Amino acid sequence: MKLDSASVIMTLGTALLALYAIPVLALVVSVPSGELLIQLTDPVVLRAARTSLFSASVSVFIATVFGLPLAYWLARANSRLKTVVLAVVVFPLVLPPTVSGMMLLTVFGPGSLVGDAAIVVGIPLTRSLLGVIFAQTFVASPFVVVTAKAAFETVDVRLEDASRSLGKSRLVTAQRVTLPIAGPGILAGITLAFARAIGEFGATIMISFYPRTMPVQIWVAFLSQGLENAYPVAILLLLIAAGALMVLHTAATNPWS
Amino acid sequence: MTLELIEVRKAFDGFELGPVDLNIDNEVLAILGPSGSGKTTLLRLIAGISSLSGGAIRLGGRTLDSLSPEDRNMGMVFQDGALFPHMTVRQNIAYAAAAPDRVLALAERLEVTALLDRKPKTLSGGEYRRVALARTLATEPSALLLDEPLSSLDRPIQTRLLEMLHLLFDELDIPVLYVTHDQRTAMALGNRIVIINDGVIEQIGSPTAIISRPRNRFIAHFTSNENCFDAHVADWTDAGAVLQIGEVRLGTTAQQLQQTQVTACMHPSRIAISAPGAPTAERVNALSGRLIRHLFQGNEYRVHIDIDAAPLTFAVTVHPIVFDRLSLENRSAVQVLIPFESIHVISDRPA
Repeated sequence: MKLDSASVIMTLGTALLALYAIPVLALVVSVPSGELLIQLTDPVVLRAARTSLFSASVSVFIATVFGLPLAYWLARANSRLKTVVLAVVVFPLVLPPTVSGMMLLTVFGPGSLVGDAAIVVGIPLTRSLLGVIFAQTFVASPFVVVTAKAAFETVDVRLEDASRSLGKSRLVTAQRVTLPIAGPGILAGITLAFARAIGEFGATIMISFYPRTMPVQIWVAFLSQGLENAYPVAILLLLIAAGALMVLHTAATNPWS
Repeated sequence: MTLELIEVRKAFDGFELGPVDLNIDNEVLAILGPSGSGKTTLLRLIAGISSLSGGAIRLGGRTLDSLSPEDRNMGMVFQDGALFPHMTVRQNIAYAAAAPDRVLALAERLEVTALLDRKPKTLSGGEYRRVALARTLATEPSALLLDEPLSSLDRPIQTRLLEMLHLLFDELDIPVLYVTHDQRTAMALGNRIVIINDGVIEQIGSPTAIISRPRNRFIAHFTSNENCFDAHVADWTDAGAVLQIGEVRLGTTAQQLQQTQVTACMHPSRIAISAPGAPTAERVNALSGRLIRHLFQGNEYRVHIDIDAAPLTFAVTVHPIVFDRLSLENRSAVQVLIPFESIHVISDRPA
C-alpha cells in the first residue's frame, strides 16, 4: 500500500483520538445504567458532587477576578519583570500536584504561622472547604492567566487607544472593547481552569481530605470497595466535566452577541 | 481656537523628538516626513496616548498635559482606521457620538449610510477610512489629528478622499494636524507644511515655499527636487547673484548671500523647456541640451536632460501637451528655461 502524507496524518491523529476515547467508552460500558442511578442517589456521592461543583466554581471565579488584571498586565507591559512574573505564574502548572499540596501545607497548614492564625479565628485553611478552594485555585488559576494573556495580546493596542481618544475611560474601554474582543480566548482559559479544578486530586488530598471532592471520593471508593465501585462516581465526574465544557464552549463560540 | 506646542519633547528607545514649537490655528497643518521621523509620536503626544518628556501642550489656552486622552477632546484618526471589529459601522460611530441623531448625519456626510449595518471586515479600504473619520467626528472634537488616513489606498480612491477631506476641513474650522509621508497629499491639503526628519523640524512654510525654497538638501530631495547642485557666486547683477556651476552660468534673484560656496536648487516643476533656439524672456536662463530619458506619470512627464555645456543633468516636469507639441523623444535637442526666481540658493556648504 502506498503511503501518502494525508493518510499518515490521519493515522497519527486517529491513534491519539483512540487513546482519548477508548478509556472513556470502556469506563461508560463497564457500569450498568441501573448501578449508576443507585450511586446517584447515594448521599455521600451527591455531597462530593456538590462540593466539587461549588469549589470548582468558586476557584474559577477567584482565578478570573484575580487573574485577568495580571494577564492584562503581562500582555501589555514592557517591563523586564514580566519574564519573572510569567515564570512564577506558570510554576503551578509544572509542579506535580502533590508537591503543590505540600508547599501549600507549609504555608497554610497546622503549625504554620498563617495556618495557626486562621485556626485561632475559626477559619481553618486545611481539612475545610476553604482548603479545597485554595488547592484548586493554586493549580487551576494559571490556565486563566496564561490563556487570557494570549487573548489580550491579540487585541490591537490601537483599538484601546482609539477608544480612549473617543472619550471613553479605561474601564469603559475594557468593558466594551478589550473584553469583547479577547472574550473567546478568556472563556477558553476559564474552561480549562474549570476542568482542571473539578478534576484536582493531588494537592486537594494533601490539604483537605474532607470535605470530599469527587476525585477524592473516587479514590476512597477504589481503596475501600475496589475499582468497580469507583466506576459510577468516575462516570458522574465525567458527565459533570463534559457538561461544564459544553456550556462554556457554547458561550465561548459567540460571546456577547 | 489655537493648539500650541511649546518645546514639546519625547525620548524613548534611543529616539528623541523635539523640541517642537508650533502654533496651529483653525487651519490644516500637514506634517510631512519619512518613516520613523517622529510624526506619529507627535500626534500621540497631543492626543495624550503617550506622555511628554518635556514641554507643554495647550488648546485654547488650556493646558492639556495632565489630562487623560478621554478628557482632551482631541479627535484622532488612526493609521488603518482602528475600527472596532466586533461592532457594526453604526455601533462604531454611535460609540463615540454624544447624540444618536449624529450617527445618521455623519454617515450621510461621509457617504457611509448604506454601510451602517456592516462589520468593518466587510468594508473596502476607502469605506473603512470614511467610517473611521465619521467615528472620530462624532465626538465633535476641538482639534483633529489624522495619522496617514489615506495610506495604502488605490490612487483613484485616494484622490476622491482627498477632495472629500479638503471640503470637510474647510467646514470644520478647527485646528487639523495631518501626518503623512506623501508629498502630494501634504501639498493638496496643508495650508502650511511642517517638514520633520529624525525628530527635528526642518522647515515650516506654505506648500509653495516648501517646494520652491527648501531650506536644505534633505527637504529638496524629500520634495522630489533632483536639481540641487554645488555652485559658487561668480558675479553680481542688478537682478542678483550669478552662479557658476561647472561651465554654466546662471542668473538668479538671490541677494545678500553670506558665502560664495552655495547650493543651487530648482524644482523640476519650476523649469520649462522649449524648442532649441526659441526666443526667451528676460531674466530667464536658457541652456541647450538633449533629452536622455522620460517617464510618463499619468498627468505629466518627468524628463531628464543632459546640458551640452557641462556635465549637468536636469529633471523637468513637462505637461503632456508641451511634450507632444515638441514631438519629444529620447535624444531630442531641447532648450531648458530656468527663470531667475526659480533658482533657490542655499548657503549650507562650508566656506
